Amino acid sequence: MSDGDTATPGVERARRIALNEDWAATIAGLALLILILAGVITADVIP
Amino acid sequence: MTAAEPDAAAAPADIRPPVWSHAGIGLVVVLLLGVLAWALAENVPGWTEGTALEEIGAAVEYPVYAIAVGLLGNLLLSVLGVRDRLSGGFRTEFFIKTGLVLLGASINLSLIVDSAGRAVAQALLLVSAVFLFTWWLAGRLGLDDKLRALLASAVSICGVSAAITAAGAVQARKEQLAYTASLVILFALPSIFVLPALADAFGLDAAVAGAWIGGNIDTTAAVTAAGALAGEEALQIASIVKVTQNALMGIVAVALTAYFAFRVERTAGSPRPQAIELWRRFPKFVLGFVAASVIATIYLNNASASTGPETIAVANDLRTWFFVFAFVSIGLEFRVGALRQAGWRPVGVFAAATVFNLVVALGIASVLFAGFEF
Repeated sequence: MSDGDTATPGVERARRIALNEDWAATIAGLALLILILAGVITADVIP
Repeated sequence: MTAAEPDAAAAPADIRPPVWSHAGIGLVVVLLLGVLAWALAENVPGWTEGTALEEIGAAVEYPVYAIAVGLLGNLLLSVLGVRDRLSGGFRTEFFIKTGLVLLGASINLSLIVDSAGRAVAQALLLVSAVFLFTWWLAGRLGLDDKLRALLASAVSICGVSAAITAAGAVQARKEQLAYTASLVILFALPSIFVLPALADAFGLDAAVAGAWIGGNIDTTAAVTAAGALAGEEALQIASIVKVTQNALMGIVAVALTAYFAFRVERTAGSPRPQAIELWRRFPKFVLGFVAASVIATIYLNNASASTGPETIAVANDLRTWFFVFAFVSIGLEFRVGALRQAGWRPVGVFAAATVFNLVVALGIASVLFAGFEF
């Protein structure tokens, strides 16, 4: 492999997805927690 | 094909362009298999009661069913020839990180504060030692510098996430990333079962077992699965330790960027890595994990003694579902072809680094977390 290779689009895409997934998981987790604490999601709706 | 040039067909879901309809079907597969795994975990103890399998049925917990169901699903989808097309829906990282944010709600802020110093000390010592050992060994065996960086980051920090971050930092090729990601899962799967069993055999207390599991297993999802098998207290410490290691990812990425720009590639006019990169590459779910702990701690301090814990129990139930989906996804992502494509040198480096990590992490965890009280 030449050392001068640049990152392939596949790696860039993977990095972007990882960053987006990171934020998405953070937002989803906190949003779900707030809904639980607010009483919107209760034990009845979770199998 | 050399060890450093595995077949591009090995690329995991993360690094191929997603076809959203296929990814959607893949997601449905994960959800259905997750429900199946949960149904097995709930019902097998009852089904095996009074039979010769009663003890096994009672002992096997949901992570085992979830991973086993994921592996069987993987086999079935591979036989049908649709596994790779659906793999965009196998979002292990999303499920595990969402689950970890929810796990933060069940961890009192005081536990994070009490264990933070030890977790940071362990992460700094362990990541440095394991990274440098892996880098050195891979160099001795003549591996390409970029693959060295990916392997060292994956083993020492947090598996696939670290490999992805390092791949961006050192401008690695997608085949190298695919290959490293496959190795991570290949080694993480047995660790999920072996480490809790060893911790039990060694008689480690919950905090040391958790710190050992959190410091040793590469990928965050596998740490959570092993921690769940080792018990709730071990899971909490394992998560805190792993989340701390995740937080070091940004620092390592910036260091790698600088090292490759100025020492390995020495390209004229290479942009200097900037401080903003630390934030850009910082795993944001770490903030979510701590924020959830802060929110839940404040909530519990103001809620009644009966309703507070009941409400947090709902978050725990939901968290378990996200973990089930993550563990199913681990099984679905497993690729047996990785070993064949790898050649022996990178596999040897990864195996040696894993053993090194195992021993050093046990020593550090035993010292730093001895006598830790919950």
